[in-house]
Amino acid sequence: MRPSPAVTKAATVSTDRERALRHQIEKIEKESGAKAIAVALRDVESDLALHYHADRWFHAASTIKVPILLGVFAAIDRGELLPHSRVHVRNRFLSVVENIPFRVESGRDSNSAVHNAIGKMMRVDELAYHMITTSSNLATNLLLGVIGPDAANQTLKELHLEKGIELRRGVEDELAFEKHINNMVTADGLLRILVMLAEGKAFSPGLSRRMMDILHGQEFNQGIPARLPKVARVAHKTGEISTVAHDAGVVYLPKRKPYVLVILTEWDPGVSGRSRTIAAISHTIYELLTQDPMDE
Amino acid sequence: MSASTRFAENAGMNESPTFPLRVVDGLSLPPDYRKALRPGEEWKDLNGFPRQLPRYFYEIPSWDSAMKVELATHFLLWEFIQVDVREAPPLRTFPRYVPCAITLLAVCLERFREAVGTLVHISANGGYRSPSHRFSKNATPHAWGTAANIYRIGDTYLDNRNAIERFSLIARETLPGIWTRPYGAPTGYAEDHLHLDLGYVLSVPRDVKS
Repeated sequence: MRPSPAVTKAATVSTDRERALRHQIEKIEKESGAKAIAVALRDVESDLALHYHADRWFHAASTIKVPILLGVFAAIDRGELLPHSRVHVRNRFLSVVENIPFRVESGRDSNSAVHNAIGKMMRVDELAYHMITTSSNLATNLLLGVIGPDAANQTLKELHLEKGIELRRGVEDELAFEKHINNMVTADGLLRILVMLAEGKAFSPGLSRRMMDILHGQEFNQGIPARLPKVARVAHKTGEISTVAHDAGVVYLPKRKPYVLVILTEWDPGVSGRSRTIAAISHTIYELLTQDPMDE
Repeated sequence: MSASTRFAENAGMNESPTFPLRVVDGLSLPPDYRKALRPGEEWKDLNGFPRQLPRYFYEIPSWDSAMKVELATHFLLWEFIQVDVREAPPLRTFPRYVPCAITLLAVCLERFREAVGTLVHISANGGYRSPSHRFSKNATPHAWGTAANIYRIGDTYLDNRNAIERFSLIARETLPGIWTRPYGAPTGYAEDHLHLDLGYVLSVPRDVKS
C-alpha cells in the first residue's frame, strides 16, 4: 500500500528538519574550535531523531554519574538498599590500578556538604542527590563503593543499555586516568538511558520518576538550559574535565511532549567557549523543534 | 551516671541496679541474630590465629535508649553502634546487641579524652561492628566491642600522619596495653583515622551461669 500524502509530507518534513539540524550543528562545530562534537536527539513529540557522530566514544567525565544513579536505583529496586539506608562518609578509595588508595580532593569537588559529613553517615538518597545536582565526586565514589561497578554494569546489561556506556571505575582516580583506564560514553549510549528514564521504564514508573526528580535538581545550567526559555524545565547531567564538556538531559516544554538531548564535546585543554557551544546547539535544536513545520 | 540512664528497663541478669541494659546470652538469640553475631565461635585473625568471639551482649531496645545510656561521662552508647548499610540486616534494626566489653572500651576512651582535653569522635562503622559486617574480613577487635576508629579530636581531623601519630602516642602513653594502628596505607595501617583497641577481650558478667 502506498503511504498517504500526509505521511509522505511528514516524513519529508522530518528529513528536512534533520538535514537542517545537521547543517546547523556542523556550522557551530566549525566555529567553536572543538576537536569533536557528538549529538543525539530523540523528540517524543515529532518522532524526530538525530544521531550526529553519536557512536563516537568520549571520556564520560561526570555524565557517568547517570549510569551510576541507575545502578543505585537498581539496588533499591532489588531491595538491597533503601533510599534512607545510611552510608559511612569516608574519603578513602582504592584505585583500579593496583588498589592504591586515593582521596577526592575537597578543593576539586564542587560540593562541600558531603565532605563536611566525613566520619558520619549520609542517606543513599542524599548522596544520590549530591552526586547529580552538584556533581559531588565524593558522593559518587561512596555510592559506587556500596553497589560495586560490576553490579552497575550488570544493571546496564539487564536493561539492554550497555551499548555506548563503559563504566570502569569511580571518579578522581588519577592513576587510572594516567593509564587511560577511563569511563567512556557515546551520545547514543546516554540517550538510551535518558529515554528509558523519561518514559518511566527504568524498574518502575515510580523509581524512574524519582531519578528524574533528582536530575531536575541540577544546579549547573550553563549548557542545555542556558538559552532555552524560562518555561523550559530540564532534567540533566553535565560533565566536564580539561578535555571534554558534556550535557545530557530531557527538555520539557509547555504543551508538547519532551525531547531527549545529549551533547558531547571534546577540546584541547585551555580552549574556552565550551558551555557556549553546548548552549548554542541546544538553542538551535529548540528553535527547530518548536518551529511550526508549515513555516518551513 | 546521669539520672537519664537510670531507667530500669529489663534489668534481667544484670546485677547492677543503675545499668539499664539487659545482658543476653547470644546462643539464646533467634537464628538470624546468631548467624550474624556468631556468639562464642572461633574466628581467625589476620595472622591465622583463632580468636573466640563474644557470647554475652547488652541488648539495646531502641535508638532512644542508645541515645540516653552513658557508658562513661562523655560517651553515650549510640556513639559506639553507628553502622551503615554494610552491617548485616538484622543488626541494623532494634533490638540491637553489643558485646559486654564495650563498657571497658568506653572507660578507656574517657581516660583518653581527659588526656587530650577535648571531644573525641568515633567514626561510623568505627565502634562495634559484627563479624558479618562487610568490612570485617578477619577477626577484628571491632567485633569484640573493644576497638574504636577516631576520625576527629576537637577540631583536628585525623587524616594525616602528623595528627594520627601525635594522638596515637598520647593514647599509648595514657592507656597501658592499648594497641594503635601505625600510620600508612597498606592493610594493617590507617591513614584517615586513629584505630585503637584493647585486643580480643571477652567480658562475662558475674551473674552469667553457663
